[in-house]
Amino acid sequence: MRRALIWSWTGAVIIFMYLPALSLFLASSTSSRYFGFPITKWGFVWWQKTFDSLEVHQLFRTSLAIALCVTVIAVVIALFGALAFARYEWKGRSIYQKLVLLPIFFPQTVLGLALLLYFNALGFTMSWQTAVFAHLVWIIPVCTLVISIQVYSFDPALEEAAFDLGATRWQVFREVTLPVLFPGIFSGALFAFLLSWGNFPLSLYTTGADTTLPEYLYAKMIAGYTPGVPVLGTVSTFGAALLMLVGYLMIVILRRRRTADVDSN
Amino acid sequence: MDRLAKIFRPGPRHAIPVMLFLLLGFVAPLVTVVMYSFVPSRTFDLWQDWNLDNYAEIFNSSSYIPFVWSLGLAAATVLILAVICYPVAFGITRVFGKYATFITLLFTLPLFVSENVRIYGWILFFIKNGVLLGSLKSMFGYEPESILFTTGLTLMGMVYVYLPFMLFPMTLGVSMVPQQTRDAAFDLGATRWQVFKEVDLPLAMPGIVIGFLLTFVLAVGAIAEAKVLGGQRIIPITQDIETAFTYAQNWPLGAALSVLLMLVVGTLVLVVLRRFDLDTILGKK
Amino acid sequence: MTGVPILQLRSLTKTFGSLAAVDKIDLDFDEGEFFTIVGPSGSGKTTLLRMLTGMETPTSGEILLRGKRINDLPANKRPTCMVFQSLALFPHRSVGQNIEFSLKMKGVDPATRKARALELMSQLRLPESYYSKNVTKCSGGERQRVALARALAYEPDILFFDEPLSAIDYKLRKTLEKELKDIHRETGKTFIYITHSLEEAMVMSDRIGVMRGGKLIQVGSPQEIYSAPHTKFVSEFIGDVNIIGVTADGTAQVKAKEFGASLKTPAVPEGFGAGYLVVRPESLRFLSKADEAQNCLEGRLYNEYVLGSRVQYQVRVGDHVFIVEKLRQQAFGGHRDDKVLIGWDADDSILVTD
Repeated sequence: MRRALIWSWTGAVIIFMYLPALSLFLASSTSSRYFGFPITKWGFVWWQKTFDSLEVHQLFRTSLAIALCVTVIAVVIALFGALAFARYEWKGRSIYQKLVLLPIFFPQTVLGLALLLYFNALGFTMSWQTAVFAHLVWIIPVCTLVISIQVYSFDPALEEAAFDLGATRWQVFREVTLPVLFPGIFSGALFAFLLSWGNFPLSLYTTGADTTLPEYLYAKMIAGYTPGVPVLGTVSTFGAALLMLVGYLMIVILRRRRTADVDSN
Repeated sequence: MDRLAKIFRPGPRHAIPVMLFLLLGFVAPLVTVVMYSFVPSRTFDLWQDWNLDNYAEIFNSSSYIPFVWSLGLAAATVLILAVICYPVAFGITRVFGKYATFITLLFTLPLFVSENVRIYGWILFFIKNGVLLGSLKSMFGYEPESILFTTGLTLMGMVYVYLPFMLFPMTLGVSMVPQQTRDAAFDLGATRWQVFKEVDLPLAMPGIVIGFLLTFVLAVGAIAEAKVLGGQRIIPITQDIETAFTYAQNWPLGAALSVLLMLVVGTLVLVVLRRFDLDTILGKK
Repeated sequence: MTGVPILQLRSLTKTFGSLAAVDKIDLDFDEGEFFTIVGPSGSGKTTLLRMLTGMETPTSGEILLRGKRINDLPANKRPTCMVFQSLALFPHRSVGQNIEFSLKMKGVDPATRKARALELMSQLRLPESYYSKNVTKCSGGERQRVALARALAYEPDILFFDEPLSAIDYKLRKTLEKELKDIHRETGKTFIYITHSLEEAMVMSDRIGVMRGGKLIQVGSPQEIYSAPHTKFVSEFIGDVNIIGVTADGTAQVKAKEFGASLKTPAVPEGFGAGYLVVRPESLRFLSKADEAQNCLEGRLYNEYVLGSRVQYQVRVGDHVFIVEKLRQQAFGGHRDDKVLIGWDADDSILVTD
């Protein structure tokens, strides 16, 4: 009885979470210029038009460039950050843990504006590179947190055993630490990419002349109704879902294979 | 030499890249904002006579109203989310079993879609002739007023956007309560409500408080909900700050407003976070 | 009081999918007895206990408390209480608050609560100053006592124990086992204890029930279980023991499968085909002449271990390794690979089935 209540409550919350995505999808699949419900003329004309637009291609390229750079840099820095966060016992660690979390506990709009002032004071011109830096301020902490959760379950004796068997510091890192932590690193990368891809408040003030997809959508939304907005919104949702699903399956397969190998030994 | 050796022990050594980056990318920008807040109004040069005029201007005007709105809406968001999320967090830890991961993924996904796009989805849902009203009209011939552009909808938008930020820490918290401890309380004659009050709540508290803090802080910084869904019926503090920086071209005033917001948020975060041992919350074994 | 059943199980069954974790168990627990259920992990003992406490509902069968069916009574309404394997002490509460928990749930006033808690603490030899001590700061043995006091404060008719001593080191465990037996005598309550260690069960219990694969395979006093196991499983469970696979050969004797010798046994039951002969290591003797015992075998001394007050020898007869134990004072002065004669009398062996 109580279980049924909890299931249905959760079901209702999930529907609430996905109503906007559903609305976007419905709006994207009409052939008319204006949105009205129920839809009278179904069709994917606007998908075609949007995908053919050169402007949209450019937006994808900018967003992709930013997200990829952010992912690579964030994962490298966050991996070391996570080891300091969860692997080693050291004086000052508990303060460090809280400092790392501060940017997550900070309104992003204000952070974006602060970075704008800062870059200006330093004499930088805003471009997609400054946006990469801005994204990193928020994404490195998130990424550190995600990887840390994996590091917590890491047994330091593994590293000690490898040292004991004559491995150098670098060999230990490459042969033991990295492979064991890989699922965490992979989820960290996934988070970094997707969060950068969908970020709006930080991009808004720090991209300058370059425009990312969320910024473009925002500009279009404010300007009035264009069916391109629901199309791109739907694409973002499906794209993120697909990437997350593939990523999740990869982690599951990875874990399976690991345990399978152990069994066959 | 001794001190150098200490710094280069593995723990601090691995922390260096992150700390360095945050120093340059987080602390330095905030310091810049603080410095700008002392510069004369409507100027852009940092190096001139500093004064407190911007702060005086804020306290002499009605700028406190957006502050109150932001804090009030954030508090309301937190309370509503607590009620919405607890059963879900409880379900993910104790009821859903093998579906728990999938359900968690369902709640993670929206985080990766730009929040303004998702808010736009709500507009399409609530707008006249939109998904809701269009359906009502065609199915029942019923044509109510649209609730778009109201303060209530602003609040709903905030609840919607920040839901995962409450849910995930709360789930961590609920999963910190050992099942045997709950069983023991139950076995000792506690009712369901007493188990909740005496065992579940106190033991899950660290996660719950972190969820409260995170959603509150993020909701204080909310801007798009009021702008897009609320039709600018109310102006939150972030929008005031944004206006100062953009249309008004008054960076020093914007900076001073930001500093005040940072003070509120920063104090709250530091006071609350200081009391927690993150290792136990994040599941150190 | 003994002899009056307080708790009766009638064909009690719990299935998970197609697996019967507890399979048609019939058992009466007597008022005031210390009953231990022993079984290896996966034998269904924990599931059985969870049904008795009300944390699991039976698939079929009945649980009768003083003759009244309590199958569907939830744990918080049953006059029984359990000490958990993890102890499940409330980490956010002091020693005193832990002990008082059930009284607080009933709405007892604070002064009465405290008086009762202090009374229990003195009974369990916990210093009065511990009343406000953080329970997570207590030592292993103290935590055990707090958990027990907390359960006793509930004033249960039956106290259940789910292997509370399994994570404790050997020496402390031995002390606590004896303490628990003392407390059982002092309180006169019915204790139902589960464990995977028969040794632990022997020390404390009035009666022992051995479980395997969801079934109760033997119930009896510690003495009965030790000296007259019904099956190979139960006899192996007691510890080091010699088990010889045998077949009936139509006479009063049986034939060892591995080394072919004919062995004298107590009476061979009607219809016995094949089974095992169980001989305790302390019943085996080193012989100087073959006629010194009813059964005699020749083998080679293989290994010798000193086990504190006793010495254990391994003797190979063909491919079968026998274990012989002697007190240290009566140690056998042989060397490795020496030819030795070992033997035992028919009455010292037990014939069991699988």
